[in-house]
Amino acid sequence: MLAKLSNVTKRYGKTDGVHDLSLELYPGQAVGLLGLNGSGKTTTLKLLAGMLFPTQGQVEVLGKAPRENRGQIAYLSDADNLYAWMTPADAERFMVGLYPDFNLNRYRELLAFLEVPKQGYRSMSRGQRARLRLAMVLARDARLFLLDEPLSGIDVISRDRILKSLVLEWREDACLVLSTHEVSEAEGIFERVLLLKEGRLAMDAKAEDLRSRGQSVKDAFIEVLA
Amino acid sequence: MWNLDVEAGPIYAQIVRGVERMLANGKMKPGDKLPSARELAASLKVNPNTVIHAYSQLEMAQITETRRGLGTFVREDVNVEGIRLRILQEAALRFLTEVQSLGLSLEDAQKALKKVSPNGQREA
Repeated sequence: MLAKLSNVTKRYGKTDGVHDLSLELYPGQAVGLLGLNGSGKTTTLKLLAGMLFPTQGQVEVLGKAPRENRGQIAYLSDADNLYAWMTPADAERFMVGLYPDFNLNRYRELLAFLEVPKQGYRSMSRGQRARLRLAMVLARDARLFLLDEPLSGIDVISRDRILKSLVLEWREDACLVLSTHEVSEAEGIFERVLLLKEGRLAMDAKAEDLRSRGQSVKDAFIEVLA
Repeated sequence: MWNLDVEAGPIYAQIVRGVERMLANGKMKPGDKLPSARELAASLKVNPNTVIHAYSQLEMAQITETRRGLGTFVREDVNVEGIRLRILQEAALRFLTEVQSLGLSLEDAQKALKKVSPNGQREA
């Protein structure tokens, strides 16, 4: 097992971001973390990344608290959060300084495949920005990749490239968790789907099992939420 | 060429059917090399495990073989005629089911087939 949430509750004031959530993540899995806005997707990813502490319960990544295993965790935030002046070359120096596991060759290959321009972040389109930030995260030799909404609000060509690079970079020793509300476009790459509803796990299923019952992941999503 | 549909059952089975169909219509031939699982997964935007599952099913069905270090190939002794016949029978069964659901007979079905086929039109 790669990561585990045991009866985790995260409270914000009086409301629960996630409530009594338990799940296990394994190497080789590509997991879709699905749910409407406010269902607890970002909270779950941040708990796994060690960026939030649980109010109750326990989070483990490779047997330790996430904060003690930061080198194994690569997290892509949904915020547009790079310095405006940064070019891909600046970003490279930044990542090399920060993460010993940053793989330079893979980063450069990813920039080429994702067609990231060499200019500063400020003058890039939304799609180009998303592709640069993804390349920075995927170039790490981490074991747990947590991607928060990497497909939302960007053009169709960028989404296509991002999905392809996720497949090409897929590794048997790593687990990828990707949150999205654009279910149908991404559903083919998921082996397993977790559906959150109001901070609780409403469904945990294998995507191919759903399809053998004649349901797409999107159908199941709508059925559970309806 | 592959026409995946997430509403049409498991993706691995659709990849298996895709290969069978390409063999039946001659787009793929005995001895041809299949794309690597990773390449096909990327171009279809599906999980590599799904393609690996499809390839293992094709191998069990004696349609393909893995050559160490070289990749996956269509077997030279693959029974293309058998595959073609099975796909035709499956299509015939779907057609017949539709005919029966309309309350029509086999004779009506035959007439309809003749009517829509180019040869049938020439006769008419």
